[in-house]
Amino acid sequence: MRKVMKIKQTWHGLSLCASLSLGLVGLGLTASPSQAADKIVVGMAIASSGFMTAYDQPAAQAAKIKIDEINAAGGLMGRQIEVVEADTKSDQAEGAKAGLAVLDKGADLVIVSCDYDFGSPAALAAQQRGKISFFLCAESIKAGIQGVGPYSFSASILAAVQGATMMEWAYHKKKARTFYQLKDTWTEYNKGICDGFDWMESTGSLKDAKIVGKDTFKNDDPSISAQISRIKALAKEPDAIQLCTMMPGAPSAIKQIRAAGINSMILNGSGVDGNYWINAVPNLTNFFVPVQGSVYGDDPNKAIEQFNQNFAKKYGARPVTQYTYPGYVLIELWAKAVTRAKSVDSKPVVAELEKMKNEPTLFGPRSFSAQLHHQNQGLYLIAEITGGKGKIVDRWQISKPIPLDALLKK
Amino acid sequence: MTPIGPYILQILFDSLTLGSLYAMGALGIALIFGVMRLVNFAHGNFVAFCVFALLVPSTEVTARVFLGALPTPLLILVILAIGAGLSMASEIIVFRHIRQANPVTMMIASFATGFTLQYILLFLFSSRPKTVDLWAGISTPVTIAGAHIPLLQLITIGVTLVLLLSLTWLLRRTQFGIEMRGAAEDFMMARLLGVRANRIILAAFAVSGFLAASIGLILVAQSGTADIKMGLPIMLVAFVSTVIGGMGNLFGAVMAGFLVGLVTTLLQVTLPLELRGFRDALVYAAVILMLLWRPQGLFASATAKERV
Repeated sequence: MRKVMKIKQTWHGLSLCASLSLGLVGLGLTASPSQAADKIVVGMAIASSGFMTAYDQPAAQAAKIKIDEINAAGGLMGRQIEVVEADTKSDQAEGAKAGLAVLDKGADLVIVSCDYDFGSPAALAAQQRGKISFFLCAESIKAGIQGVGPYSFSASILAAVQGATMMEWAYHKKKARTFYQLKDTWTEYNKGICDGFDWMESTGSLKDAKIVGKDTFKNDDPSISAQISRIKALAKEPDAIQLCTMMPGAPSAIKQIRAAGINSMILNGSGVDGNYWINAVPNLTNFFVPVQGSVYGDDPNKAIEQFNQNFAKKYGARPVTQYTYPGYVLIELWAKAVTRAKSVDSKPVVAELEKMKNEPTLFGPRSFSAQLHHQNQGLYLIAEITGGKGKIVDRWQISKPIPLDALLKK
Repeated sequence: MTPIGPYILQILFDSLTLGSLYAMGALGIALIFGVMRLVNFAHGNFVAFCVFALLVPSTEVTARVFLGALPTPLLILVILAIGAGLSMASEIIVFRHIRQANPVTMMIASFATGFTLQYILLFLFSSRPKTVDLWAGISTPVTIAGAHIPLLQLITIGVTLVLLLSLTWLLRRTQFGIEMRGAAEDFMMARLLGVRANRIILAAFAVSGFLAASIGLILVAQSGTADIKMGLPIMLVAFVSTVIGGMGNLFGAVMAGFLVGLVTTLLQVTLPLELRGFRDALVYAAVILMLLWRPQGLFASATAKERV
């Protein structure tokens, strides 16, 4: 289904209007009605149908909240932001078409699907047209310069940072010394989390920390009993299990680990944030994930809880996972860059984005550079699931950013 | 370090558990292939459909139980009946009408049936996995000769054995079973001898659906999750098992299911870490080698070779 919200206007038309407007302002003339049509267009080439919908829509809705806030405050450089949408139908081939569709509707910024594989066709279409694209929440290094091109960004934080954060935090705050790594080989995201664990161990900064064993499984394995038997065969139960997995297989793996009587703390990436799956493992305890903001109603930053309530008011339900938040962040960052560049042209906006170093956003500081359009360090809240309920227990930022070479495994 | 004896016992139970799921899946596919030469790729979707029947249809993220709230014996009966009913409905609505078509057409129809079911679930429940806390107590580990085995593993193996023995009795000792075996061996000859095609095929679909529902119940008890694609990986392995076992041979399909479970578990246990990610590739490489050696399968029926 293709959903077009309002305006259809080419970039040339916009440029012309912008030039005329500036000229009129320069002459001290008041705004004419024609200026109302001089809008900035944000294109969303995301899933409105199919299985990616559940993952794309919350972040897209958060982006719309920020757009509404900007528009209500007078717009971006005095111009209203218009949203145009095209459905990727959760299909990679359709993704490219959706990207082209929103570009044809004059998109100055193209927001693409949450996942690298599903978002990259639209991002590549934007790159070819010289337009900026933002992945809603992809956490692979490829979602950016390395996998798409110099106009591509991601709004989330790299998966490797999540693994590194959890290991460093567990070492310092939970006195964890022995770790056991269980990697779901299904996606690059899962591998990225485990890469983060490995990198943190390789830095040598956690002197007596040791990954005492490693094993792999597949997200859709009907049983991981052989992997669990290997953990049970260890001389001593590890202090922590580094689990690198995501939905839909995560609850099954966690349930089987706990059912086998393994009570080690479990550390995972943000992919299993949220309350919605917890009743699969009754009374789950000692389970930790890093999150950009809390969906549990206890975020230390009151403004984030206010956002959750605004979201619920507008869309009828609170955010389900932290993956809602990057949508808001990306509009925040892009709008700042546009304001500073005084233009929506890609080149100056990219230059402004690349100047950002610990740029404050509602969900923590963000940085970009000419080499990396992703976050290789990030301030995370630590969420604990205890007694089957989630709550924020701490915050942590890794002591140094993960170097690009380590991310690219050079 | 755990002593080697209990560890080996643990691996044996791990293999039997995985093998049980594959064997039940393989039998479900082999039954239908036997009577109408249809490779039913919708079988995995039947598994998912039975699991989702436990929940109230809703796209909300938090699942609400529907049939899952029934008392256990009734819940099991109803879900098994839904599996059998759904499978029979697919035969009556779709497959019966294309029985004379070539096998490729039937296979495509089964894909289409599977996709239709998957999209119905997507529409009713959304793509986000739902969680179901079914029979929490059966995950408790029990100790057998020093090995800690989750109770569910024992139940899975036990249920599979009971189902297989019951089915063996049905197939060997009842008129109905003899007709079905005859049809699986040589359908045309069975018809010439008076076996009624519609009745026997419908029965095969019912038993196949019953097995799909059994797999669904075990999977949901083990994982606590309902996902619209949850039956597909088992279906794929089950199909491979029917080929290894010898198309049309029910006993062969079951044995091959257990064999694939054993090989998968042993590879998981013995491969070095760097190669463990390629576990399934090695399993399928072994399948190719086996088929090069015995293209008709390990337990091919007498009439199978010329048909395959």
